[in-house]
Amino acid sequence: MKKLSKKTLNKSFLSWFYGNLTCFSQEHMQTFGYLCSMLPVVDELYDTQEEKKDAMQTYTAFFNTEPQIGTLVVGMTAGLEEAKANGEALDGETINGIRAGLMGPLAGIGDSLIVGTLIPILLGIGLGLSGNGSPLGAIFYIVTWNLLMFFGMKFAYFKGYEMGGKAVELLVGEQAQALRDSIIMIGTMVIGAVAASWINVTTSFAIPGVIELQSTLDSVYPKLLSAGTVIFCWWLMTKRKISPTMVMLLLVVIAFVGVLLGFFDPGLSY
Amino acid sequence: MQINMIQAILLGLCACLSSMPGLGGTTFGNYTLGRPLVAGMVAGLILGDMQTGIILGAAIQVIYIALVTPGGTVSADVRAISYIGIPLSVCAIKGMGLDPSSSAARDMAAALGAAVGTLGTVLFYGTATVNLLWQHIGWKAVEKGDFKKLYLVNMGFPWISHFLCSFLPTVIITMAGSSMVDLMKAYLPMDGVAMKTLFTVGSLLPAVGVAILLKQVINKSLDFLTFFFGFTLAACMGVNLIGAAAIGGFFAVTNYKIQMLKLRPAVAGAAAYDDEEEDI
Repeated sequence: MKKLSKKTLNKSFLSWFYGNLTCFSQEHMQTFGYLCSMLPVVDELYDTQEEKKDAMQTYTAFFNTEPQIGTLVVGMTAGLEEAKANGEALDGETINGIRAGLMGPLAGIGDSLIVGTLIPILLGIGLGLSGNGSPLGAIFYIVTWNLLMFFGMKFAYFKGYEMGGKAVELLVGEQAQALRDSIIMIGTMVIGAVAASWINVTTSFAIPGVIELQSTLDSVYPKLLSAGTVIFCWWLMTKRKISPTMVMLLLVVIAFVGVLLGFFDPGLSY
Repeated sequence: MQINMIQAILLGLCACLSSMPGLGGTTFGNYTLGRPLVAGMVAGLILGDMQTGIILGAAIQVIYIALVTPGGTVSADVRAISYIGIPLSVCAIKGMGLDPSSSAARDMAAALGAAVGTLGTVLFYGTATVNLLWQHIGWKAVEKGDFKKLYLVNMGFPWISHFLCSFLPTVIITMAGSSMVDLMKAYLPMDGVAMKTLFTVGSLLPAVGVAILLKQVINKSLDFLTFFFGFTLAACMGVNLIGAAAIGGFFAVTNYKIQMLKLRPAVAGAAAYDDEEEDI
């Protein structure tokens, strides 16, 4: 009965933690990161060079997902490889099927939960602490983010290793779904607050004595123009399917026309 | 304000570590050093004015608060935003004599950061293309069973890609760019249309960053209500961001409990009570 040592598993985890994207290309995104992290595992489980070559062959297949949440898959395959080395009815193709099947769903969850929610929450708090130039917010982000990710990924790796396929339940079950929705809720709210605190679109449009547009808008709803700009950009991207870069260029045009018409005026001089 | 050789080299090294795919790793490189808020502190320290660096980094951060790279497509490059855009913004703002904490300085940094970041995507595709060479070496090693070489392929050789596509561009552009400010001052008056447009664009750009994020998290129009709840907290009630996170946390816990209650009938009998213990 072969059993992977704690040391090997740690080595495999660290290799993934650091190297999941270091040799990225459009053709094989995380494949080499994956190969490197499976190397200690394969080395320990198999004795002959032929067997090692055979086992490594499995992981030459394309791999790409959200690398942080994807740690779960790496842990799982370490467990599966161990089972395979112990003679269970598993072959490389089955392992690859499982890997390929998880890539997409995990990328979706990771992108929305980690990159789209956790990072904005932490950065939002960091921005609040650093707005006046204090390093506190940046340090807060560095410490909380790295601790959360290091231990979170380590947890995911070992859960994946111990539980195999069942570990996925942790992420896609109904309870996990409820938890995810709730966390995304915090994220959406924080982003609302970030938008209100950091976006400052104002107009200089005024007809002397008749109307000063900015103060009229302020009395309706503070930051109305900022909120409107966000909705406008969102509408362009989702309903009109315009890329973020094109939206930025469009804003340049809008700013230019707005300046010519006297709608925008930062009112500065050297 | 000039950027000297040593400062440019340090910025160049940070660029190598922080890009996606960076040599600092995903978590510490791309998602920590590469975030403009952190980069503002680091670049500020390198340039000898941490406070200005952080203020401008924070302003640029809002645009890139949710820089998601689905399937390896990027719309902006963090190494360029953070270690070319921020240093140039610091130089520009000091050169023009703007107060770093003014909204004009932030708008300027946002416009400059976004422009550099968009152009910087070239660096991303450059790095990924050069990496193909190392991967080619890697495939040969796998074929021969020379597995130790994989570490070199994955973590060693990419330094060459980054020397070419991160280090050199950063050093050259930051050193050359810092003298560009005087030219700008001479030819582009602050009350001219070009500069007015630049500052206006800067004030509009953070909306794009927030919109990108909303595209990620809003599935039905009702979700906008959550966003505007947070917006209203800050805009009308003056709640700060930590306060908003705390209030959001309260609603999230409530929402989670309601969701779990809804799930309960599906779980038979006694098992239902076990759920509660897994509460966060």
